[in-house]
Amino acid sequence: MTSRQLPITNYPPPITTHQTAGVNLTFSYAAGEAASRFLIALRDEKRIYGTRCPVCCRVLVPARSFCPRCFAETTEWIEVGPSGNLVAIAPMPLPPCSSSPLLPLGLIRLDGADTSLAHFIGEADFDAWRIGQRVSAVFAGTRRGSILDIAYFKPAQGV
Amino acid sequence: MRRVAVIGTGQTKHAKARDDVSQAELAREAATRALADAGITIRDVDAIVLSNMELFEGRALPEMWVGEGAGGWLKPVMKIATGGTSGTSACIAGYHQCASGLFDIVLVVGWEKHSEGATQTGMALVDPLWDRNVASGAVGNFALSISQYAAERGVTPEQAAKVAVKARRNAAKNPCAHLQMPDLTVEQVLSSRMLADPIHLLDMCPQSDGAAAIVYAAEGRAEKLCPRPAWVRAAVTRHDQPTIGDLDRRLVTMRTLRDAAREAYQRVGITDPLKQIDVAEIYEPVSYAELAWYEALGFCAEGEAGRLIDEGVTGMDGELPVNPSGGVLSANPVGASGVIRVAEAAMQVMGRAGAHQIPNVRTALATGYGVYAWSDVLILSAD
Amino acid sequence: MTELLHISHTMSLSWRYGASWYFAEFMRALRDERRILGLRCPVCRRVYLPPRPACGNCHVELREWAEVKDTGTVRAFTVVRTPIIDPATGQPRPASYGMALIQLDGADTTLNHYLAENDLSKLRLGMRVRAVWREERVGRLNDIVHFVAEDSDQ
Repeated sequence: MTSRQLPITNYPPPITTHQTAGVNLTFSYAAGEAASRFLIALRDEKRIYGTRCPVCCRVLVPARSFCPRCFAETTEWIEVGPSGNLVAIAPMPLPPCSSSPLLPLGLIRLDGADTSLAHFIGEADFDAWRIGQRVSAVFAGTRRGSILDIAYFKPAQGV
Repeated sequence: MRRVAVIGTGQTKHAKARDDVSQAELAREAATRALADAGITIRDVDAIVLSNMELFEGRALPEMWVGEGAGGWLKPVMKIATGGTSGTSACIAGYHQCASGLFDIVLVVGWEKHSEGATQTGMALVDPLWDRNVASGAVGNFALSISQYAAERGVTPEQAAKVAVKARRNAAKNPCAHLQMPDLTVEQVLSSRMLADPIHLLDMCPQSDGAAAIVYAAEGRAEKLCPRPAWVRAAVTRHDQPTIGDLDRRLVTMRTLRDAAREAYQRVGITDPLKQIDVAEIYEPVSYAELAWYEALGFCAEGEAGRLIDEGVTGMDGELPVNPSGGVLSANPVGASGVIRVAEAAMQVMGRAGAHQIPNVRTALATGYGVYAWSDVLILSAD
Repeated sequence: MTELLHISHTMSLSWRYGASWYFAEFMRALRDERRILGLRCPVCRRVYLPPRPACGNCHVELREWAEVKDTGTVRAFTVVRTPIIDPATGQPRPASYGMALIQLDGADTTLNHYLAENDLSKLRLGMRVRAVWREERVGRLNDIVHFVAEDSDQ
C-alpha cells in the first residue's frame, strides 16, 4: 500500500464545491380550529375577527385560540376593522413569497384590535404615506381561505 | 448539584394527523396537561426547553411560533434538535438547568407534526459529501445494521415480530398511543409489506403527530408539589462518529448505549439491571432494535435477546416490563418521542400510568436513540 | 363542526457546499486516475474511507493518504423496496435496489453504496464485490455506479 503526505499549505484544490440538485418540498400546515374560523370569515363574509383574552382583555388579531402572554384560552370572538391605522411601513417594495404584485409591507392596527397585522399596502405612492395614516382593507375578488383574501390595505380618508 | 424530580407529565393523543390543531396548539395541549399534572401554572415555570426537528416540518425557528404555544413568552427558551434523541436530550438539558441551581422549575416540551411535512426528505439530508448519495432513510440504514446483527446474534424475524406484537398490544392500554392493536399477531407482522429486507411495515415505527411535556422541580419544591416525585438519578448522553460506514457493526456493538448505560448504572449502583430496574421505556424505532438494546443495556448476555422476548421476560407481567406504553413502535412524533420515554418512566414511578401501570415501581429506565446511534440514558426513582 | 383548513407551501431548495481539501483530493483521484484514496490515522492506524479531516476515536488530524482497492467485502446489506426520495434529484429512487456497507480492501471503515443485485437470495454477508465505474467521471461518489459480485461479467 502506497501512501503520500499532503502538503498542508498552498494546495490548490481542483474541486472546490459540491452541488446538490434541488429538492421540492411541499408542506401542508394545519391551521387549527381558530385560524380556520378566522380565514373562513375572510373568505365567506369579508369580515376580520380577533379574540379577546379573558385575563389581559387584549383583542388579538388574527384571532387565535390562546393568549401567548397569559397562556389562557381565548373564546370571545370580536369583529375588528376593516379600517385602522398604519403603524409602520417598510420603505422599499419587498418581493413577496407568492405571485402578488410588488407592494410595500406595513403593520396595521385595525380598529378594535390590540395587536398589529402585517400586510401589503397598496394604491398609493410611497411618498404619500404617513405613520398614523388611516387605511382600509381591500378584499380579493377570488378568496380561498388565506390571509391574502385581503389583497392589501389602501389609504382611507374620513374612515 | 442539587436533586431534581419530575413532578408532572402531559401528552396529546398521538395520531396519524392532528388536523384540528396548529403546531403551536399541539405543543400547548401537552404543556397545559403537564402543568395541570404538576399542580402549577405557567407563571411558576422558570425556563423552557423545546424538542423538535424543524427540518421535518419546514418551519424554521420552532422556539418562535411554537415556543409561544409552550408558554415561552418572556421566559428563557432553548431548542434541541438531535434526531430521535431530541426529546431525551431536551429532558437531560432541562435536568441540567434545574440541577445547576439556576432554575427551580423547568418545563420540557417536545412535538412533531409529521403529517404536515417531508420527513423522508429531511432524513435524506445527511452529510452532503458522502452519505447523502445513497441515504435511504431510517429504514435503509437500520436494514443494513440488522443484516449484521441478525447474523451475529441469531435473532429471527419471528422474535422481532414478537417485539412488534408486544408493543401494539401494550399500546391498547395507553389512551395516548397512536397504534393500538390488541389482536396483532406475529403472522400479521411477517406478512405485512417488506420495506427493506428484513424490515416489514409492522416491524417499523409509525410517523405520528403528537406532543409531550414534563415538569421538573428542584428538591425543596418537588416534595411540596408532588406526593411521589420521580427523582432523576442519572442522565447520560453519548454521540458517535457521523458517517454510516464508521459505525462498527452498530446494532451489534451499540457502543454509545453501552457506554451511557455503564455510566448511568454506576451512578445509581445498578449491577444487575434485570433485577434492579422495575420498568424500562426504551427507544426502539424498529422491532430488531429493541432486541439489540436488551443486550447493550445488560438485560441479558449477548445472543440472549431472542430468549428474553420468547420467554416473556420483558412483557407486562415479566421480570422487567419493557415499553408498557407501547414504545416508539406505537407512537413516533419524533420531537416528542424521547420526552414520551421520560414521561412514561416518570409516570410509572409516580404511580400515574393508569391502565398500563406496572405494580411497585421504584426504579425506571428511559432511553433515547438518534439517527446514527446517538444514545441517551436516564434513570428515575422514587428515592 | 368547523371546516378545518390547511395552508400549503412548496419550496424548491438546492445547496452548494464548500468542499474541503480531503474531499477535493479524493474526488480528483477518483475522476482523473480512477483511484480510491483513504486517510490513515497516525495513532490507531485505521484507514478511513470516505476520508475526513480527523480520526473521531483518537482526536488527531489525518494527513497520510492510503491506497484503497476497488474490490472489497460486503459487511452489511439490504434490498430497499419502498420508495425513498433521492436528495440528488428530488425524485423517489425506483424500487427495489440493493444497498450495502462495503469494506474495500485497504480500508478499515465501510462505504455505503449500491449493489447491482436486488435479488436477496443472491446476497450474503462476506461476499466479495468490485466497483463498476462510470465511463465519464466528474468527481462524485457515483462515479462508481454500483458494486457487483467480484466474479460477475459486468
